[in-house]
Amino acid sequence: MIISDIISLDRTECAVNCQSKKRIFEVISEIAVKGNPQLDLTHVLTAMLSREKMGSTGIGNGIAIPHGRIEGIEDIVAIIVTSEEPVQFDAIDDKPVDIFFALLVPSEQTQEHLQTLSSIARKLSDKEIVKAIREAASKDQIIAALA
Amino acid sequence: MIIEKHLTIVNKLGLHARAATLLAKLANQFEASITLHQEGKEAFANSVLALMMLESSQGKKVLVRCDGSDAEDALLAVENLIVNKFNEKE
Repeated sequence: MIISDIISLDRTECAVNCQSKKRIFEVISEIAVKGNPQLDLTHVLTAMLSREKMGSTGIGNGIAIPHGRIEGIEDIVAIIVTSEEPVQFDAIDDKPVDIFFALLVPSEQTQEHLQTLSSIARKLSDKEIVKAIREAASKDQIIAALA
Repeated sequence: MIIEKHLTIVNKLGLHARAATLLAKLANQFEASITLHQEGKEAFANSVLALMMLESSQGKKVLVRCDGSDAEDALLAVENLIVNKFNEKE
């Protein structure tokens, strides 16, 4: 799995103006559906929110990986959003989050899902990459940082 | 004190995001430094990202090493979490 297979400029947004955890989930869902009209907005939003209820996907250092299982999709889809101001997210380290690496995952996938998480984790554990994402002034710069 | 034990990941989804987060939260409760070792890779248990990089799927064997004054309690807690499938059904 290489990360460029799951990310796309169409599904990336830089420095969105967002004040709440709920709103960021709506923004992510809207971006996902805009890039893939087969997806249903409510369905995507509900899948991610119900996962979030089981425990925050804020994994620390201002990063979250919101995700949900979606019936009927073939491959993992990533949506990357940075927020202008960090959002309170109940993260593991209680720090607010400004980098959201969201994933829509096919309902039956397990092994590939772990590989994807591993690839993403490798990128997001690189301080230089995270700094570049955080400081990006455009979505092109976010994609470039992850390439 | 350093103690270690081999454990097998038994839950269906393996060390996915939620499982890794639960383990990291647990690890943060102990003074002991807790590391997981699997196939030449090593991860601090208090880092969700490091745990996800292990790609531990169902059936994988991991060595859990705890180093510190509460190492015994830490190992027991980690073992309980893994054996109880991270509180997942399968």
